[in-house]
Amino acid sequence: MSDLARGRRRDGNNTELEDRSHGRSRWSHCRKRGVDGSLRSRRDDYDDGEDDTHTNSRNASFTTPESRGPVSRYARRADWGSQVEEEEMKRDVQRDMQRYRRRLLAGEVTQRERKTSSGSSGSCDSKEGENVEMDEVVLLRRQKQINYGKNTLAYDRYVKEVPKHMRQPGVHPKTPNKFKKYSRRSWDQQIKLWKVKLHAWDPPAEEEGGDADAKNVEELRFEDVMDIELDFPILSDAGSGTCSFSTRNLTLEDDDCGGTPVKMQKTETTADLDMA
Amino acid sequence: MSPIPLLRYEIILILEYTRMNVCWVIHLKINQFDDTTGFWSYCCLCLLNSLAMENSPEDYKIQSFDLETQMLLKTALKDPGSVNLDKVSNIIVDQSLKDQVFSKEAGRICYTIVQAEAKQNNGSMFRRNLLNRLQQEFKEREGTRARSLQEWICFVTFICNIYDYLKVNNMPMVALVHPVYDCLMRLAQPDALMNEEEVDCLVLQLHRIGEQLEKSNGQRMDELFYLLRDGFLLQEGLTSMSRLLLLEILEFRAGGWVLSGTAHRYYYSEIAD
Repeated sequence: MSDLARGRRRDGNNTELEDRSHGRSRWSHCRKRGVDGSLRSRRDDYDDGEDDTHTNSRNASFTTPESRGPVSRYARRADWGSQVEEEEMKRDVQRDMQRYRRRLLAGEVTQRERKTSSGSSGSCDSKEGENVEMDEVVLLRRQKQINYGKNTLAYDRYVKEVPKHMRQPGVHPKTPNKFKKYSRRSWDQQIKLWKVKLHAWDPPAEEEGGDADAKNVEELRFEDVMDIELDFPILSDAGSGTCSFSTRNLTLEDDDCGGTPVKMQKTETTADLDMA
Repeated sequence: MSPIPLLRYEIILILEYTRMNVCWVIHLKINQFDDTTGFWSYCCLCLLNSLAMENSPEDYKIQSFDLETQMLLKTALKDPGSVNLDKVSNIIVDQSLKDQVFSKEAGRICYTIVQAEAKQNNGSMFRRNLLNRLQQEFKEREGTRARSLQEWICFVTFICNIYDYLKVNNMPMVALVHPVYDCLMRLAQPDALMNEEEVDCLVLQLHRIGEQLEKSNGQRMDELFYLLRDGFLLQEGLTSMSRLLLLEILEFRAGGWVLSGTAHRYYYSEIAD
């Protein structure tokens, strides 16, 4: 069941698929019916409708005039497992908020933000109250999105490989700051870009169905590669198998060693290599 | 190496740990091994495992499980990612509903597995499955009670134990507060008060988690105690033991979830006789 080949964890994967089938596109809250024709129920996770107190500048005519009375959270998330997870997330967000406030007061944030600020309008000072997002609903939603990104193998590998103080802005992905004021679209886009960048640290695909085209950051030294005798059977396969030797290695591609592509199944080659 | 012919040897290893005062008895059947080397490796593994378990002061009380299950649980405690956590949580719940001793302490092992999973891969699959299973049992509690008083009592003990141990950021889980109260209120109903085992269960839970529960929701605790007072005063046919238990818990709460010295002497020396 675990979908390791796609570099994702079970938890995030299941819920995301669920959400996609309900069509969580940007405008889905305007639609009365889903793709299958059934009436849309209010969806909590990525529901556009309920939080738009900040960003809702659209006319009422954009939305179908159906009554959307407040739905109690209890009814929506009736199972205990989800309730407890939400509770845990709320507490984590509250704790994060306290930490952030302290950092603001200490003045750390303003300095760092000034350096790498992505051009948020006007002042870069996140003075308390002015540019700080405090709405719990928004914060929880953002935290959920961040969790989906952090719950991946790619993120784990990234964090292990590059310690925070070594991060270069622009090169290394940075988690968007959920406490800053952004519009809904801006935030969603930041998340999207961040997750795309994280894919650079996806693990090499294990079995078939893996991302044959994924950028593989594992670099090989030229000598290692030259040790391989290139008359190993080339297995043309759907997936690339656990390649220790990726096609991304530039030296290989340049130095066309006999014209044979280097994708190989791990099972056969490494066993032999270990002997050597 | 040629396989050993199908003879059954049962070897019993007795390990005594005077510090913990626990005696581990391990039955090993070697017909499942192809060679003696494998068998002795397995022996050593079991020994090491037992030692590792014993080093922690917690006694998970898993002796009632068969050996295979014990190994599974131990693996879950150390390497949750490698086992089927749904299966583990189901095993624990099933056993809790049957074994009264285990239901009193199962919360501890659950907590450890939850922590281990969170630490290992940030997951919460075990907790989620455990809670949802618990919720299922909760929905069917009335049927369970009608079918088997023992099982009902085990369930209440178990859910209260989970409430006690499985905390989120050191706070008890909000989602369980109302269900726990529902269970306790059920135990305080007139028909339940007639059964000494149910009264006993009720006061035991209140001793263990009453204080926390009151903090989570004081109003419902007040309601519960209205019922208890009524029961004590008005319920006909209560055994004297039941009345004793009820009076003690009334005093216990009145004293701020602590029994005064004199009260303690009264109740607990009486019982010893």
